Formats: sequence, C-alpha cells, structure tokens
Amino acid sequence: MTTPNTILVVEDQHDILKFISDALRKENIRVLTASNIRDALNESTTGQPDMAILDLGLPDGDGLTLIQNLRTWSQLPILVLSARSDELDKINALDAGADDYLTKPFAIGELLARVRALLRRRATSQSNTSPLIVFGDISVNRAQREVMRGTEALHLTAIEYQLLCIFLVNVGKVLTHRYLLNEIWGGTFTENAHYLRIYVGHLRKKLELDPTQPKHILTETGVGYRFVLGD
Amino acid sequence: MNAKTHYLRDIFYSTVACGLTALLAMPLIGRMNLVNIVMLFLLVVVLLTVKMGRTAGVTAAFVSVALFDVLFVEPRFSFSVTDAQYILTFIVMLIVALVISYLTSHLREQMLEAELKAQQSQALYELAQALASSVTLTQATSAISQFMHQSLRLEAVLVLPDTTENLHQHGEHRLTEVEMLMAHAAYDSGNIMQTGYQNDGEHSSTYLPLHGSTRKRGVLAARSNIESTGELLHDRAMLEAVASITAASIERLHFVEVAHDAEWRVASERLRSSILSALSHDIRTPLTAAYGMADSLHLIEPPLPQAAQDTATALCTQILQLNQMVSNLLDLAKLQAGGMTLRREWQPVEEVIGTSLQLLQSILSKHHVTIKLAPDLPLLNFDAVLIERVLCNLLENAIKYGNGNIEINADIKGDFAHLSIQNSGKPIPADKLEQIFTLFERGSESHTAHGTGIGLSICRSIINAHGGQIWAENLNDGVNIIFTLPLGTPPIVNL
Repeated sequence: MTTPNTILVVEDQHDILKFISDALRKENIRVLTASNIRDALNESTTGQPDMAILDLGLPDGDGLTLIQNLRTWSQLPILVLSARSDELDKINALDAGADDYLTKPFAIGELLARVRALLRRRATSQSNTSPLIVFGDISVNRAQREVMRGTEALHLTAIEYQLLCIFLVNVGKVLTHRYLLNEIWGGTFTENAHYLRIYVGHLRKKLELDPTQPKHILTETGVGYRFVLGD
Repeated sequence: MNAKTHYLRDIFYSTVACGLTALLAMPLIGRMNLVNIVMLFLLVVVLLTVKMGRTAGVTAAFVSVALFDVLFVEPRFSFSVTDAQYILTFIVMLIVALVISYLTSHLREQMLEAELKAQQSQALYELAQALASSVTLTQATSAISQFMHQSLRLEAVLVLPDTTENLHQHGEHRLTEVEMLMAHAAYDSGNIMQTGYQNDGEHSSTYLPLHGSTRKRGVLAARSNIESTGELLHDRAMLEAVASITAASIERLHFVEVAHDAEWRVASERLRSSILSALSHDIRTPLTAAYGMADSLHLIEPPLPQAAQDTATALCTQILQLNQMVSNLLDLAKLQAGGMTLRREWQPVEEVIGTSLQLLQSILSKHHVTIKLAPDLPLLNFDAVLIERVLCNLLENAIKYGNGNIEINADIKGDFAHLSIQNSGKPIPADKLEQIFTLFERGSESHTAHGTGIGLSICRSIINAHGGQIWAENLNDGVNIIFTLPLGTPPIVNL
C-alpha cells in the first residue's frame, strides 16, 4: 500500500475512537472521524475514504440508514462494530450492505486483520479479472469450470459449484444465510434454510482437509458464512 | 301485625263502615227509592275492597245485606220480610256484592303486585348500574347487600372461590358452618338450594349459584328473618335475576383483574427488556474501551518493558473474563424471565462443534481433543448461538477441571440426540452432581479456579428451553457431562 488509505471511523465513545484511530495511524492509514450519522455522511462525501468502520450503537440512530445511504453511491468496504447479545443487528447491517463485523470487545490485532483483508479486497476487486483462484491445495478455474486438488479433478454438483462461485466472488466478506439462499434458490427463507447447511457441509467435505475444522469455508454462528483464502 | 290480626281488623272496620253508611242513609227513607240505598251499600263494598282487600269486601257484602234487611226493608228492625220479592233483592245484592268484591280485590292485588314489581325492577336497575360502575369486589358486595336488604329484606353473603378453588365469604354478614356447607353444595351442584327455617330455627335461606359465561363464579346466599318461606318463593324470579346480574358483575371484575395483571406483566417485561439492552450496551462500552486500551499497550513505540507487556496481556485476559461473566449474567436474566426467544434452525451439529472449538482454540492448544460423531446423525433443530455457548461453557469446564484429554461424543438414543463432553481428571463428589447446575455453585470447593458458578446454570436454562436435559456423570477416570436435544421431525431433503 504505497498511497496511504483513508478510513472513516464512526464512533461516539471517545476512548474507543482513540485506540482505534491510534492503531490505524500506526499502520500508516489516514483516519477521518465522526461521532454521529450526520457528520459521518458529510465526511464520507468530502473525505472520500477507502473504507468505513461503523459502530452500530450510535446515539442518533442505528447505523443501518448510514449503510443504506452509502451503498446508493459507493462500494467502499464497511466494517461494523456490534455488542454481542444481538445477532440480529449484525445480520441487518450485512444485508443492508456491510461487508464484515467485529463483536465488542475486540483485540486490536483482530481489527487490523479485518481492515487489511477488506482493503486488500477492494484493491484486488478493482484490478482483478482472472478466472483462476487458488486456496489451500485447491485450484479453481472458473472459465473452464474446473476444480482441482493438485492434479485430481473434483466433481461438484451444479448447486455446489454455484455456491463455491459466490464464495469466490466475495472473499473475506460475511454472507448472511438470507443472502446465500436468495442467490441460489431465490425464494422464501424458511423452506430452504436447511438446504444451505447441507450443501455447505458437502462442499466442506470435498474441499477442506478437515471438514469439521474448516480453514476456508468458515461459519459465522447465527449470521452466515465467510470464505477466506487462508494463509 | 300478623295475618290473623289483619283479618279481624278488616272485619271490624268494614262492619263499622257499613254501619255508618246505614246510619247516614236512614234519614233518606221515604224520600229515596230503596234501590238507591242498595247502590249506596254496593258503593261501600267497592270502596272497602279497593282500600282494604277481599276480607273487608266480603264482610261488607254480608253486613250490607243484613243491615239493608233489618233497617230498610219492611218490617223494619227485624230479619223477616213482608214482601217476598225482597228476598230476590237480598240474594242478587249479595251475589253482586261478592262478585264486585272479588273482582275489585283481584284488581287491587294485581295493582299492588305491579307496583311492587315496578319498584323491584327499578331497584334491580339501580343495582345493575351500581354493579356496572363498581371497580372492586368490596364495592360490588356492598351494592348487592344494600339492594337485598332494602328491596327484598334479605341478608346477602357472597361466597366466592379463590385461585385454589376454596370458597370464602364476602359481605357484612356471616354464614354459619351449616350454611357454608349448603353454599358449597349449591356451588358444586350448580343448582339453587333452599332451606326452610328449620336449619337454625331463625333463618330461612336460598343459595343461588352464580354461573358466569365460562365457569362457576361462586354462590349468592340470601337469608331472611321472616317466618314465612312463602315470601321468599314469591321472590325467586327476582333472586334469580339478582344472581344473574351478580354473576356477570363478578365475572367482569375478574376479567378486569386479569387485564390489569396482563398489562402490568407486559409493562414490566418491556421495562426489563429495555433495561437489559441498555445494560448490555452500557456495560460493553467501557469493557471495549478498556480492552482496546490495554491491548494498545502492546503496540506502543518504543515498546514497553516486558513486565509491562505481560501486565497488559494479563489485563486483557481479565477483561475478557469479565465480559464473559457479563454475557452469562445477561443471558441468564433473559432466559429466566422467559423473554429469550430461541432462533431455532435445522442444522448439522458438526458445525456448531467446529465453531466452539475454533473459538477456544487458544486455550485448547495444550489439550488433546477427540471428536466421535455417529455417522447417521440427522439435522437437529436448535439455536446455534445458544448451543455454541453451551459447548463453550462445557469445554471451558473440561479444561478447568480436567487434566488434558477431552472427548466430544454425539449419538442418537430413542427420540433424542445425546451430546457429551468428557474430560479425564478428578471426579465430582456424588452429592454435588446435581448441585453444580444450580446458580453460583462450584464443583470442588478446594479448587482455586476462577469463575462464578454461572456457566452450568446457563447451560441448563438453554438446554431446558430446547426441550432437552443436561446432567453430569462420573466415569472411572473423569467426568462426563451429557445434554440431549429432541430429534423432532427433520425436514425432508430432496437432493
């Protein structure tokens, strides 16, 4: 990252804002701050940030309206911060367009890892057009619709392949159950929710070294799934 | 004044009235036709009947004929008759007088009855109004007592059931034991019961069960001081009307109470719920700030001495534990209030086992974990976040109290899936196996491990909410904690 990235941090608690900003600045990131939704909107238009970190517990309204507003004119990655007891607010934020979430309290290391992943995603998505993706010992050629483990070709059913492609397009991003069900089955949530679990299970069996301890297709409990390329 | 005295009085007055009439008419002899004297006497009969009733009227009929015969018909001052046609006059006069008397008295009785009914209807209407506006049982009871006393001259006692179906008396009068038994009998049978005044020599009583629209509401006991039960029977229709209004009123008061209760419960639930969410946010904010700031000590340039870095790490650990405790407490509060709705979904249990191990991977690194899952485990219906919490709590316990080996098992027994976390190590004292699941109880008092005894209590609340059970067993060389989840009917999967 040669040109410093700019991150907008929307947080009303001074101490939390401080340690987040300090940690980001140490990583050579320019930090814009806002403590309420209105200021956040102003900063996002004038400051042109590359990414936003948004606390969902703001005093002047939930972050949802901010996310929805941003998404009407920007694709910048959004990381939300949420208190644990509510999966619902995370799911709503993700469905409204947020990319990832962190549960409070969180370690700085975790925050920086997520930030780097999201910034990298933004950078690669702007330049990436390759159909070839490699993770673990699997390589996928989307142009040829080939999935290989080393030299061995793996057979995936149509739905399994579709699911894999959705993951590959959204590396690092948390995909809610609702989003995945809609993309694949396009229908009502309650009828097919278990199918998603079953197909993810099948995909893990085929692609992961240890399906019970997956390294790529990760479960975000109560929320959805996240695909990572791994180390 | 009893009936007999009434009777004698009526005879006396009517005799006197006829006598007076005769005296007044006597100067008219010779100047007026005798027929008109007859009319006068008939008029007196009508008036006496209207005023005083049938007895007076009948008496007057006979006395008028006698006086007419003695004082006005030749030969005067004797019962004998010179002109035989007057015998016809006497007979017809008597018949007419008697008929007039009966008809008039009948009319009079009807009029009196109508007046009484009108009065009672008015009183009943006023009772209904008073009951409709009463908001407490005491108000209703006194309205009923007052009505019964003023309109029916009866003492009223309301006998109502409490929440455990025991009957209690309400009102200013008290029933004797025998009367309470009668009230019980009326309540149980649902029929009106009446007793003459034999039961305790002074009172006669009626027991009217109060039938509400959904169930029996109690009994209205009406007690009188008069000797004649005839009076009560006459009022039976009236009593039934009162019982009906009373039942409706008692029922309404009951539902008012139920509505109040429900309102209060909803309001207190809302309050509790908003307190819990406010607490959650308010507690997590300083925790987040403290954790973040403690963590940032690791990143200070130039780096702090190792001792300070170690303190910073220890600070982080403590804060995380505090956070865990707070989460547990808040969840326990929500679960116990019954306010936590489970977000159940059909899913494989492998997933949640995997995420639990992932969450605890840093503290599990020194332990050896084996997973044995039955191959035919179906999808189970559970709230992933909560069951993950249970597994994490159990794993943390296994780490705390075990000495290295942990085994996770899942299989099917009957209608339930059995999941267990087994750790090798010291067994739990047999008398504590159940107690460890109660709040604030730790397994071994001599153990120096940290933590309140909340973890297992939360596990139990969560598992119970899912319709399963959780318990602990001692093994040869360790402890096994097992919980069950109902299999239910998994959705059909067409692949």
